[in-house]
Amino acid sequence: MVLKIGGSLLVLAASSLIGWILAGDFSRRPNELRALQGMLEMFETEITFMSNVIADAFDKISKSSQSSVALFFKLTAEKLQAGGMNACQAWEAAVKEGIRATALNKEDESILLSFGKMLGNSDVEGQVKNIRLTLHQLKLQEQKAEESRKKNESMCKSLGVLGGLAVVVVLC
Amino acid sequence: MGIDMIFRIAAIGILVSILNQVLIRSGREEIAMMTTLTGVIVVLAMVAKEIVNLFDTVKAMFQF
Repeated sequence: MVLKIGGSLLVLAASSLIGWILAGDFSRRPNELRALQGMLEMFETEITFMSNVIADAFDKISKSSQSSVALFFKLTAEKLQAGGMNACQAWEAAVKEGIRATALNKEDESILLSFGKMLGNSDVEGQVKNIRLTLHQLKLQEQKAEESRKKNESMCKSLGVLGGLAVVVVLC
Repeated sequence: MGIDMIFRIAAIGILVSILNQVLIRSGREEIAMMTTLTGVIVVLAMVAKEIVNLFDTVKAMFQF
């Protein structure tokens, strides 16, 4: 009897945890997109007003934030300082490496990759235009992410708990 | 058989109805439908043995 109750509690706890983790992904994504927009705006001021080189600018940006998307900037700066890559390749490699640690999806990844294609191969004006375009796209993604968060977050939580309860009832 | 089976079926019914509400609220009518169907099938599988039992009893009753 004790074993049965203990097992049921374990199953319930595990399924609730799965629900919480899935819901956490939905609530993390809009935050990360917002942080990314802030960082891109910082990058824009870095290159227009302070005329820093990309490696220094990215290093500075990555230190300004605790968010997990700061990893992209940190990795790119490291790769650029190590040498052997241009900005475009370094950004692409960093995004592909760092995307696993974030809650961003494929669409966001492709926006970031297309931002990298233009990175470092035009003058300041072209760079600023590229940043503005990326910011606009990220804003749209953020709205979408916010909508899907509203739709899915509470559902995932309750689905986890209720699914666990159903399994317990059926197996007991 | 016994009272615990009835309680179990009742619990499944309550759970399925709440799940249904949650899924419909978040705009997934087709998954809600599937959940209901799954609940019905699970309960049916649980009850099938008892129904067979009932039929056997009725058959034995009318076989002289």
